[in-house]
Amino acid sequence: MRLGACTIIAPMSSQALLVPELPAPPSRGLGIYVHIPFCVRKCAYCDFNTYAGLEALHETYVAALCREITQAAPTHGHRKVDSVFIGGGTPTVLSGSQLARILGALRAGFSMVPDCELTVEANPGATDQSRFRELADLGVNRLSLGAQSFQEAELRFLGRIHGVAELGTAVDAARAAGLQRINLDLIFGLPGQERVAWHRSLDAALALAPEHLSLYSLIVEPETPLAAWVASGRVAAPDDDLAADLYEDARERMAAAGYLHYEIANWVRPPVAGEAVDAWTSPPGASRHNLRYWRNEDYLGFGPGAHSCLHQPAAEGAAHQARRWWNLKSVPEYIRRLGAGQEPEDQSERVVGALAMAESMMLGLRLVREGLSWAAFQRLHGVDARECYAPILAELSEWGMLESSSSALRLSAKGVPLGNQIFSRFLP
Amino acid sequence: MTDTSLIRNFCIIAHIDHGKSTLADRLLEATATIDARNMVAQALDSMDLERERGVTIKASAVRMRYPAKDGLIYSLNLIDTPGHVDFTYEVSRALAACEGAILVVDASQGVEAQTLANLYLAVEAGLEIVPVLNKIDLPAARPDEVADEVVAILGGKAEDILRISAKSGLNVEAVLEAVVRHVPPPAGDPAAPLRAVVFDSHYDVYKGVVAHVRVFDGAVNAIRDERLRLMATEVTFEPLEVGTFTPRMTPVDRLNTGAVGYIATGLKDVRQAQVGDTITHVARPATTALPGYHVAKPMVFAGLYPTDSEDYIGLRDALDKLRLNDAALVSEPESSAALGLGFRCGFLGLFHMEIVQERLEREYNLDLLATAPSVIYEVLKRDGEHLFIDNPADLPDPSHIEAIYEPWMHLTVWSPDAYIGPIMELVTKRRGDFEKMEFVAEGRVMMTYHIPLSELIVEFYDQLKSRTRGYASMDYQFDNYRAGDLVRLDILINDEPVDALSLILHRDKAHTVGSALARKLKEVIPRQMFKVPIQAATGGRIVARQTVNAMRKDVLAKCYGGDVTRKRKLLEKQKEGKKRMKRIGAVELPQEAFMAVLKLGEDS
Ligand SMILES: Nc1nc2c(ncn2[C@@H]2O[C@H](COP(=O)(O)OP(=O)(O)OP(=O)(O)O)[C@@H](O)[C@H]2O)c(=O)[nH]1
Ligand code: SF4
Ligand SMILES: [Mg+2]
Repeated sequence: MRLGACTIIAPMSSQALLVPELPAPPSRGLGIYVHIPFCVRKCAYCDFNTYAGLEALHETYVAALCREITQAAPTHGHRKVDSVFIGGGTPTVLSGSQLARILGALRAGFSMVPDCELTVEANPGATDQSRFRELADLGVNRLSLGAQSFQEAELRFLGRIHGVAELGTAVDAARAAGLQRINLDLIFGLPGQERVAWHRSLDAALALAPEHLSLYSLIVEPETPLAAWVASGRVAAPDDDLAADLYEDARERMAAAGYLHYEIANWVRPPVAGEAVDAWTSPPGASRHNLRYWRNEDYLGFGPGAHSCLHQPAAEGAAHQARRWWNLKSVPEYIRRLGAGQEPEDQSERVVGALAMAESMMLGLRLVREGLSWAAFQRLHGVDARECYAPILAELSEWGMLESSSSALRLSAKGVPLGNQIFSRFLP
Repeated sequence: MTDTSLIRNFCIIAHIDHGKSTLADRLLEATATIDARNMVAQALDSMDLERERGVTIKASAVRMRYPAKDGLIYSLNLIDTPGHVDFTYEVSRALAACEGAILVVDASQGVEAQTLANLYLAVEAGLEIVPVLNKIDLPAARPDEVADEVVAILGGKAEDILRISAKSGLNVEAVLEAVVRHVPPPAGDPAAPLRAVVFDSHYDVYKGVVAHVRVFDGAVNAIRDERLRLMATEVTFEPLEVGTFTPRMTPVDRLNTGAVGYIATGLKDVRQAQVGDTITHVARPATTALPGYHVAKPMVFAGLYPTDSEDYIGLRDALDKLRLNDAALVSEPESSAALGLGFRCGFLGLFHMEIVQERLEREYNLDLLATAPSVIYEVLKRDGEHLFIDNPADLPDPSHIEAIYEPWMHLTVWSPDAYIGPIMELVTKRRGDFEKMEFVAEGRVMMTYHIPLSELIVEFYDQLKSRTRGYASMDYQFDNYRAGDLVRLDILINDEPVDALSLILHRDKAHTVGSALARKLKEVIPRQMFKVPIQAATGGRIVARQTVNAMRKDVLAKCYGGDVTRKRKLLEKQKEGKKRMKRIGAVELPQEAFMAVLKLGEDS
């Protein structure tokens, strides 16, 4: 799990700051994200809140992080946690005992359901089999590996610390350590990337039979080395038409391999024998944690730059509101604040009304199988999406961008690559 | 009472870019009006737009104190003027406030079209002319030849013409001496009732309409009880403040006979104080007003529409205010099926149109769409009715039309003789008729033509410049209306006609212009979620078609995790960008689409 750069937002009005902590029934699940802001080396395209060369801070950081978790527990600890995602950064730069302390703090403060999904992100090249075994021993049951490419030249261009050979090794080692649910991340749309090169990466990834695949298009983020290369003309800017071709190719190839496309950038391995997957549901191998984001459900984030979001659904006499907040990004400042017993929260935002509804649309429609559930929308916002978006839905359907059933709305095959055009129409 | 013998009112006139504003800078420095520390280039070009483009748009006045060689201290009122042909009316207003004019001629370019045009205006206004050769520091300067050119148009002796460099300051002092010696002092009668002509004005939130005036007779005091009257509109007001431009507005107690300065009227309605009106005292009024100016007649018309229809009222108010500062601009409400409510505006030329649009957008924070420019066509209908049409959408059905007449201009082109061929070719292609050619100096010719205005307004000047490596210059005046085989070209986007894109043109050009326009539209219309056919048609017959292919990919396949805010902001930004577009049916058209006809290039 990665976090984007902090978004500038207008200061909250004092009224918004007074939103009370939202009481929620324990029956509604909760997801927890834990951010580890360290990497061995910073990749050329990366704008996540993560830093290389901060090894000296690992120990104090873990202490601060455990403290943040412990501080939050009294307020939220009664909620049933069914997914935990430890991401970054590269969580596996921490030692087994450091990771154990973090998980210990989580288990002590929150009630985790028995089959809680527990994902850890790892980078090939920095993780050996004994680390994987440590993870498995800690109860980690899902591993997300940043593979990015199966072409040596591309890995070098991206500034990754590993080569192609380490990818297969890492997957084998993780399996041998007992980690069965494995995700691989791949990046496409590198400047000048040949279609065959992309096909080879995809085929190589499929050959490792990962349970889950995430395919991201390369985005030139400001203030990254990649952005500087593009600005200076050393590297061509990624080409939209090429990205469109590569994305189409990926959809076809993944389908041919039997993988199920369930979110714009995410696929799940083919159903195993006897597993029936309804065309309008996300398959069982989907990331439970990420489903939470797209279903616009509750989650807490711990660590610098981490985002949290809690909803108060519409009820008798009260409209829906969501409170979203995020922590400050600086690691030393985060450590300092928690050391001083202060909150690491940086800014917050209260999302209500049309904006909150638009968020549900833009998130839900990313789920290309299950789509946006009419009922869930109604439950959260107290209104029927079919009514409040009638003209927009009619027009987009007329253009063949959407399909709907009695229970949900989703993008059509034609609409998927044009998602942003569609989502933005719901914004107030 | 001060003595008018120590006052000199003069303006600087020239062809565009010959160095008027730069000379004004040097004069301001030489008289210590602006000290060197605070000096910026083209100091009198105070609008952002003027500074960015390096072009004077508005005439501006400034008062200087000059201790002359004769030991007396003179009060010099300088008015810098624009050189572009579209702003000739600014020049004529400035002339009416002066007794003399410095005629600047670029010693490397020589006499050009507006040198002559502005010189004629100044002579007609009875001004004393002080010719000056500028830019003699340039290696390409040929002062002897250019001096002969000046003598040929103005008379006098070549050796009497000052040779200066406004850039380096060489001989600038001599210009001031020449002004003092040759320009006569103002002639008015200090004892007569007040007569001050309003030669310009602007709006100030605190002071209301501020009239820029030249006092011809009498004097005006900064005394509220001495009520003033605008003679044409019969509006009366108290002077809130009177002052001079130094170049900042600087209050004084009194503007005497011959002075150039301003009167803050406190009037809120900009229509009450018109440029050209005469101000007098209520208590002791003058009997006859000063002559005023002929109103410049707009020749080019286009619709201006707010991108966001809620800005309609804002646009109306902005046009009112801008008109106060720009007397040549006219506007009246109109509505378009495609664009909603807006204004049909009249301009002096395309440059003027561009400047007005940009000023409205910047100074009034509006976002505007402009339709393709049109001239005024005269239509004779079969039933005998006569119509004047400044909007192609208003053209009656062809079956009702007996004849269409369009304005023709008398065009003068000045150029080195090496470019006669390319100029002839350009004019012929634009339906122009050759009239005559004269050799005005060694290697330089003046050619005259008759040409339809509609052919002149779009890209003609750029084409002329590019075919003559920048050496040719031109000037034109209205000639007459002539019948033409004219048709309306309609544009259909996604099968819907877009009225704001229609234009009237000669039948022979419908095919080439239609094709070029369809191509250009294909270039500027961003891909939509579906494919968009573009068609050009005359009288229901399709003459050209193009297709904008459907968009292929626009989706963020990037993991931002829980940072929903960031994801949403990206979409909001995208949506914000769309607000600048105009939705026609299901298609979002960018502003450039409406101006596409201006950028068709050589082959049309
Ligand atoms: N070399 C040289 N350049 C000059 C001289 N005087 C002006 N220029 C340059 O000529 C260009 C035009 O000068 P301006 O003073 O803006 O000309 P203008 O006549 O006021 O132009 P408009 O107001 O647009 O008609 C500028 O780049 C000046 O720097 C001069 O004496 N020598
Ligand atoms: S490993 Fe991942 S988080 Fe770390 S720098 Fe590279 S892309 Fe960024
Ligand atoms: Mg100028």
